[in-house]
Amino acid sequence: MNEKAHDAQLMARIAAQDQAALRGLYARHQARVFRFLLRLVRQEAIAEELTNEVFLAAWRNAGTFEGKASTATWLLSIAHHRAVSTLRRRREESWNEEEAAEIADAKDSPELELQKTDKAAILRRCLEQLSPEHREVIDLVYYHEMSIGAVSSIVGIPESTVKTRMFYARKRMSELLQRAGVDRGWP
Amino acid sequence: MSEDETALSEREEIEMLLPWYVGGSLDATDRDRVERYLAHHPEVRRQLDLIREERHETILANEALPTPSAVALERLMASLPVRRSGLLERLLASESYRAIAELFAPPTPRAVRYAAYAVACLLLVQSLAIAALLVEGNGGGYQTAAGKDGGEGLSFFVGFTDTASTADLTRLLQEFDARIVDGPKPGGIYQVKVRIGDHSPVAADALQRRLAERRDVVRLVLPAKE
Repeated sequence: MNEKAHDAQLMARIAAQDQAALRGLYARHQARVFRFLLRLVRQEAIAEELTNEVFLAAWRNAGTFEGKASTATWLLSIAHHRAVSTLRRRREESWNEEEAAEIADAKDSPELELQKTDKAAILRRCLEQLSPEHREVIDLVYYHEMSIGAVSSIVGIPESTVKTRMFYARKRMSELLQRAGVDRGWP
Repeated sequence: MSEDETALSEREEIEMLLPWYVGGSLDATDRDRVERYLAHHPEVRRQLDLIREERHETILANEALPTPSAVALERLMASLPVRRSGLLERLLASESYRAIAELFAPPTPRAVRYAAYAVACLLLVQSLAIAALLVEGNGGGYQTAAGKDGGEGLSFFVGFTDTASTADLTRLLQEFDARIVDGPKPGGIYQVKVRIGDHSPVAADALQRRLAERRDVVRLVLPAKE
């Protein structure tokens, strides 16, 4: 049985209130959902609470899952909306990338200063300095391997916006790298 | 729009697709479009290396993150609401269902202990109630056979076991030289008069004990007081 069919079977069982199936779905997707949320909200306790909310929503709404999108896409879509609501409510993190960058700069430690000499470490640090919007699309495409359509579904924006958002996220990262002394020759 | 601007626009469009091209998630139409462009513009291929680099570091950054704590799943399972169909929900919520469910639920040791106490108390109350009824009707004390029906002997109120046959009762009455003078009273009690000359309390107690020992026939024996 392939991954999609396995997930579909679990969803059907969850719709029939099978708790063992929910445990199965959790085991398969908890790391993905938790990490996606943690990258957005940046606090483990909140990410864990939101992860449980995502799976609780899956338990309640499994009957409405039509299987058009993959289960992972569906779960990350719920996670995205929970994270955005939480961030807006708590106002702990702005969606403004300049502000995010300032926060990250303020947290520099001696260890991080040393890492600035390592190109890979600089790149990872620049990833962290991106706005949550840009970081989210980068994570969805590179780590979660989501297609343009899937990102559109998760974030709730048109496919054309997905492409431009990814493009500008990469451009912004090049700018940050250039500021850190790494010229990639693009854009 | 100039030719350069058109070319730049097309290049940007292709560049926008490159992250998905590297990840292998472009549909066939876009993939062919990217490959055709790359074939004519090899300088753009350098970007593929930059994207692979970004991708690699993004994956490392994510993989370095923890996973939910071990107790998170149990908290989730404990928080699950129970969802039922309307009819079933109404049935399960009804008092009748709860009463039936309790009836068929396996008893706990504590419930068994309480039940034993309850049965013992019930028997005691029943015995006292019967005795009170009978005492009230007879004025207390042992009733001599002569006291009521004029015959000699001692009277007792006796309850017989459900398994006792008529032959068993006949044998018992013959053995004790007794006869049934009244009954059945409430609780299936009969008044039995035993022919005996000694009417002392000691004799009455001894006779009551002997009757009570016949558990195969007698389930209850009480003195019928005057």
